Amino acid sequence: MRMKVLMTAVSLSALFSVAAGTHAMADDGKLEELKEQGFVRIAIANEPPFTAVGADGKVSGAAPDVARVIFERMGVKEVVASISEYGAMIPGLQAGRHDAITAGLFMKPERCNAVAYSEPVLCDAEAFAVKKGNPLKFASYKDIADNPDAKIGAPGGGTEEKLALEAGVPRDRVIVVPDGQSGIKMLQDGRIDVYSLPVLSIHDLVKKANDTNLEVVAPVQGAPVYCDGAAFHKDDVALRDAFDVELKKLKESGEFAKLIEPYGFSAAAAISTSRDKQCAAQ
Amino acid sequence: MEWDWAFVWQIMPTLLEGFKITILATVLGAAVAAVVGLLLAIMRRSPIPAVSRTVGFVSEFIRGTPLLVQLYFIFYVLPDIGIRLSPLVAGVIGIGIHYATYTAEVYRAGIENVPRGQWEAAKAANLTTPQTWVHVILPQALPPMIPALANYFIAMFKETPLLSAITVLELMNQAKSIANSNYRYIEPMTLVGIFFLVISLISVVGLRWLEERYARMDD
Repeated sequence: MRMKVLMTAVSLSALFSVAAGTHAMADDGKLEELKEQGFVRIAIANEPPFTAVGADGKVSGAAPDVARVIFERMGVKEVVASISEYGAMIPGLQAGRHDAITAGLFMKPERCNAVAYSEPVLCDAEAFAVKKGNPLKFASYKDIADNPDAKIGAPGGGTEEKLALEAGVPRDRVIVVPDGQSGIKMLQDGRIDVYSLPVLSIHDLVKKANDTNLEVVAPVQGAPVYCDGAAFHKDDVALRDAFDVELKKLKESGEFAKLIEPYGFSAAAAISTSRDKQCAAQ
Repeated sequence: MEWDWAFVWQIMPTLLEGFKITILATVLGAAVAAVVGLLLAIMRRSPIPAVSRTVGFVSEFIRGTPLLVQLYFIFYVLPDIGIRLSPLVAGVIGIGIHYATYTAEVYRAGIENVPRGQWEAAKAANLTTPQTWVHVILPQALPPMIPALANYFIAMFKETPLLSAITVLELMNQAKSIANSNYRYIEPMTLVGIFFLVISLISVVGLRWLEERYARMDD
């Protein structure tokens, strides 16, 4: 009981100091603060190959790997990752629960308004996982909207959920799936007809599921290629700029490609575009 | 963080949609709990040891494991053996059976409170076992239990947000999906709290009335 009280006190004071930190010191203060405490808190999603947590608890995946290297060069030795739902990441960032999001959270105009993105890091197109032979012949989100019985699974607050809703799939046919494994399970059980995630994530899941009754449709027609970036609090633009400087160096030296290409991502795709283009695209 | 009334009115219809499902899940779940609980209580008293022991073990098992785990099991594991329930049905069965093991205890207490002489009198009057239950025991046992049962009904209502874990679009899940796309938690979550509070407060008044009405049968 005493321990619990103590911990509450500690976490409360941590909360207040973070809140005070983000408001009082809007400039370089944040980076100095992170350097001093020796770690930065990032939000991830456990969606390989973007972000992954091994059975031993080790955090990997392309996004955290890039973040780890960059933060190290900025003088922050460690990254501490916590798993979060996609939809909870931006509110969590705003509430000071983490310092950055490195999770394959693709840039979209409304997200660009809510957070300060770095330059693009990971780019990928959208894909569908469907039953073998694609019985309902889905090639685009529009096809799903046009079939009155089709149900699509997508992560809550994720890009795919938004794309499906924008294509005209009614809310009650967009099933919010908590994680990748549940999505595949629901597809196998016939609870959903199609499960949508970025190409590399779907490939990874379908490969792991090792089920010959599933197949991948990629890329989805009409859905653009999206890029993510590390996302920071709106007040932490200075921190974001420092991150961008190191990211640029990493891209130029070729180390960037070495970090993300083993995961299947294209470095050229990220280098050829920019935050401004991605945030403007709709 | 600032409270935004315009946003509140904008999300209200979506939340009400979810609230309907919450009420529906509670009412259906309560019906399952009331019926299954009574069956469990009666079977627990069965003179056949195989029946009473099995029922006893199953109830202990269900009461001893978390509802969330049971919901995952019903939703994600049962399809492997060919039982595929819709999210709402899976949720109602899960929460209904979970609470049935508690209501069974309430029924048991009520049944045991019926004086022994009533059983003997029924026997002396040459009533069959079903007749004894339907015409003698239950009419005396049920009324005093109603307040206790209603208590579980309120508890169950407050557990329904767990159904969001198996993709039922009830109040909590709707609030989460609103927060997901608007990056604001303060209004949706506060409203969820208020919705639950309002119904709970009304229920408490109803409960007090039930207690007045039924609990003092002896007076």
